[in-house]
Amino acid sequence: MGGLSLNIMKNIYLVPLILTIFSLSVIAIALQLDTSPEMIVGESMQARSFPIFLMILKLILIGVMTYQFYKNNPKPVTLEKFHTWGSMFLFLLFYLLTVYTDMFIGIFVVIFLMSILWGERRIWVAFLTATVTPGLVFLLFDYVLKIRFPRGILMNLYYG
Amino acid sequence: MFEQAISAMASVVVDPYLLGLIFATTILGVIIGVLPGLGATTGAALLLPFTLTMDPVHAIAVLATIYVSATFAGSITAILINTPGTSAAAATTFDGYPLAQKGEAGRALGIAVISSTVGGIFSVIILCFAAPLLARVAYEFRSPEYFALTVFGLSMLASISAGGAVKNLIGGIFGVWLSTIGAERVTGIERFMFGNYELYEGLHFVPIFIGLFAISELLVQSKTVNKIINTVTMKAVKLPTIEDYKKIWKTILRSCGIGTFIGVLPAEGATVASMIGYSEARRWSKNKKEFGKGAIEGIAGAEAANNAATGGAMVPTMVLGIPGSGTTAIILVGLMVHGLRPGVYLFTEQVEKVYQIFGSMFVANVMFMLMGLYAAKLFARVSLVPTQILWPIVFALSVIGAYAFQGQLLDVWLALIFGVIGYFARRHGFSVAPIAVGLILGEMVETNLQHSLKMYDGAWWMILAQPLALMFLVFAFLGLCGPMIYSWITKQKD
Repeated sequence: MGGLSLNIMKNIYLVPLILTIFSLSVIAIALQLDTSPEMIVGESMQARSFPIFLMILKLILIGVMTYQFYKNNPKPVTLEKFHTWGSMFLFLLFYLLTVYTDMFIGIFVVIFLMSILWGERRIWVAFLTATVTPGLVFLLFDYVLKIRFPRGILMNLYYG
Repeated sequence: MFEQAISAMASVVVDPYLLGLIFATTILGVIIGVLPGLGATTGAALLLPFTLTMDPVHAIAVLATIYVSATFAGSITAILINTPGTSAAAATTFDGYPLAQKGEAGRALGIAVISSTVGGIFSVIILCFAAPLLARVAYEFRSPEYFALTVFGLSMLASISAGGAVKNLIGGIFGVWLSTIGAERVTGIERFMFGNYELYEGLHFVPIFIGLFAISELLVQSKTVNKIINTVTMKAVKLPTIEDYKKIWKTILRSCGIGTFIGVLPAEGATVASMIGYSEARRWSKNKKEFGKGAIEGIAGAEAANNAATGGAMVPTMVLGIPGSGTTAIILVGLMVHGLRPGVYLFTEQVEKVYQIFGSMFVANVMFMLMGLYAAKLFARVSLVPTQILWPIVFALSVIGAYAFQGQLLDVWLALIFGVIGYFARRHGFSVAPIAVGLILGEMVETNLQHSLKMYDGAWWMILAQPLALMFLVFAFLGLCGPMIYSWITKQKD
């Protein structure tokens, strides 16, 4: 079993394996759901039946897909670029900044860092984009669409 | 009825606010269409939260205008930089770019503009006549018929995009499962909520769609950073000559029919239509050898078909509540959010609004024609907006749009989570459109199955005894197994 065959195995079985685990987990959770009395459900379905039916159908299709992968080895997927992982990390940073500071601080930081990460070399352009975009969007949503944004450092100052 | 329809459609032209809105949205739609990666679906998903405070007709007019104008605009970059702005314009690159390389970019764009406009207007006219007729048929539908129809719609997911039939069906089932999250509608039993009561009424479509279409596209685009784009220079858009018209009029008419028909089929869309329109143009052409080297029939065939599909796709969306594509799935959500329940009710109780929406689509087609003819060169420059500026802005619009829908931060997190899920799904060859369509159809399929079972005291086989339901189920079976049976028969013959 060289590295290549391990890669092929990964190509063929990784996605079906993840999907199978997911489907089985859904079935396991669905089996824990409450059941309704006969007088409510009558001859219709229990709440758990439909999701279980869906997952069984999905498992059958996963079987077909695995067979197709086995017959025609799928193309290996290209590895993520640093930019992709970096962008996902910025989503996480956005979550933390929104929860602990303010949504608009989160948006500012993410736009600024994403511009730099994706190759913007002019710091002032990244800064301008990060400032003007949330500013305009805020004005539009606050004044025109009358949306109240979640409270945070900046919004507390604004709403009082 | 006819007079009512005409007066409702005409009211669009005399409503300056609506006209201005369509004009502004057409510009926005063309910009969205020329920006590689954005496209009609992402654009509509991003714009949906902005329409929440609008009048229902205005809101749907905005979404429909984005749909038709972005579908057309994808051809501008397809011709000038060999990168289709939308997947529906992929077939336009086959002959549009080679013609542009020969120094005839203006002619190629002129043909694309005229073909798209004819296709779009043709399909709106068909929509005006076909939708009320289909609504009359749908009047007879009860739960078993609706159940069978949604199964048919789900079976058509197999061919909704390039992901492959099995992968698309897996995506569709995942979408249907997502619709089961929250309190079950009959018994009130909580499903897959994990104690999160904000999910009691289920996952809402808007943040999920923003995640699946906009955020996942952002992550996909992160792979194209530093990509070099070669543009073709163009002086001005040239209207087709009499000789050109003689060459392409049959192709345009054929593609109008193909596009509208493909669009009407549940879960089929402009991309499939343009591919078939192109291949039929080639099949019927006397100059087959020119195809791939700049044949104007190729451009006309693809463009007329993809725009004709926009009107066609609105038929099942508005009449049956079954979306024909990712974009119509978003338009369907727009209808529901604004209290316009798709189906017979819409065509009997709110017929004026329906025809105003159709009228808006008609006006949008004329407007994008004018913009295409006089400002395509300008719009083409928009495609050169650096990705490092464009996509961070899309991020901001996505998160605020997701939040604005219900004023819940949970929706923002859901948009980001589904963005990442959508990205990894696409990375492994799954398309996200089936997930979106499955999510919409999920409630319909479960509820109608429950009602049908109650109607027949649990005897599910009675569904098969209903002629219309049986017909839809047979179509679904043929749609899924037909290609396999056909290839088996062909093999046996060989």
